[in-house]
Amino acid sequence: MKFFTPFRKKSPWILHYNAGSCNGCDIEILAALGPKFDLERFGAINTGNPKQSDIFLVTGPVTYRSRERLVELYTQIPEPKVVVAVGSCTDTGGVFRGMLNVEDGIDRYIPVDVYIPGCAASPQLIIDGLVKALEILETKSKAIEKPFKLFGAVQMIGTKLSRLNMAQRVRHDEN
Amino acid sequence: MIWVWILLAPLLGGLVYGGERVLRARMQRRQGPPFLQPFYDMFKLMDKRSLIVHAPHALLAVGHFFLLWVSVAAIFLGWNLLYIIFLHLFAQVVLILAGYSVRSVYSHLGANRELLALVAYEPILILVSVGFYLVSGSFEIGRILEGEGYLAQMPLLFAALLIIVPIKVKKSPFDVTEAHQEIVGGVEIEYSGVFYEFLYMARFLEYLFIYSFIFLFGGISYGVGAVLVAATFLLVNLVDNATARVRTGDMVKIVYGVAMSLAVINIVGILR
Repeated sequence: MKFFTPFRKKSPWILHYNAGSCNGCDIEILAALGPKFDLERFGAINTGNPKQSDIFLVTGPVTYRSRERLVELYTQIPEPKVVVAVGSCTDTGGVFRGMLNVEDGIDRYIPVDVYIPGCAASPQLIIDGLVKALEILETKSKAIEKPFKLFGAVQMIGTKLSRLNMAQRVRHDEN
Repeated sequence: MIWVWILLAPLLGGLVYGGERVLRARMQRRQGPPFLQPFYDMFKLMDKRSLIVHAPHALLAVGHFFLLWVSVAAIFLGWNLLYIIFLHLFAQVVLILAGYSVRSVYSHLGANRELLALVAYEPILILVSVGFYLVSGSFEIGRILEGEGYLAQMPLLFAALLIIVPIKVKKSPFDVTEAHQEIVGGVEIEYSGVFYEFLYMARFLEYLFIYSFIFLFGGISYGVGAVLVAATFLLVNLVDNATARVRTGDMVKIVYGVAMSLAVINIVGILR
């Protein structure tokens, strides 16, 4: 309803997921939520439950182990929802770009609304990005948003097959 | 007039909850959320798409809220204290059924803990109301509020009630039923959107329920009751900020070991 829409940006509830990060950005997010930077003054709560959150804060380049959980958590958040990628790794892969066990950033899997740069992203930047995300959240509709990839049986077999090749791609003898 | 207050009960509880969030933030030297934050949260939850696991599960949350509302209304109307406690018990049982009705492991864990918390605090509530009966001669709230202050005759029962207040308002050290990052809210986990809002508002009513028990200790002088409520509110939040969570079994042991013996000693003292 139109009446309730302005209240979206007054109570953003955050779901934080670590997709294989080095914990640098996670510590900065906790610092942003803590007493010094105090994200709760915007009404933000770190819920830890996808079914009750609005903002999906993701850190880390997506490792093979974490990508299914990433997509699953994304689909469990009810619309309207906003995805915020925190840190260089989450945006582009960062220093892990091109590595064998890492996807380069989360935007291969889920649509991202705000990219926050930095290694690690500072609490000020995270708050800035969240305020930007709130503006986007207000303009969104309740239409269902889907991830780019889902992990069905065929997909799983495909990734297993693609990893058969992996041992040959690593050359230990060349220096 | 009293019906207006009954209708406004969830809003009143929301103000208490909002004030509490600001108070806790100030205790940690934070700015904290706006005072009306619970209402912003409620309006936002109205605007979310709600995912329902199955219909009875969603319905039980609504039932929990309305049963709690009835029990708070009964307090405002000055009914029998035992009726009120059992109405509240019924509301809790509905919530526990909701927790067991889905297949989520966290929901089951939360329901188990909710059940254990119920086992822990329910006897204390009954003993407190028995204490009121022994001193004032009636279980009716209207009659209890006509008596002189009860604090002089039931100090240990008041202490026992103080121990179980954190269980009801889900504060440390006894917040095992909610256990935010540990079991992700317990029975609340599978709710979303409008149906979560009912559980969120039920929490406001719990505040009114348990603090009105504290208020009864003031007797005919409402000022003393209000001071007692304010002091308890401060104390509970201070303890919440200063302590860690105890385990479920330890919670039951502490409540049975300390609060129960305090209550029994006091009742034996009144009977002599």
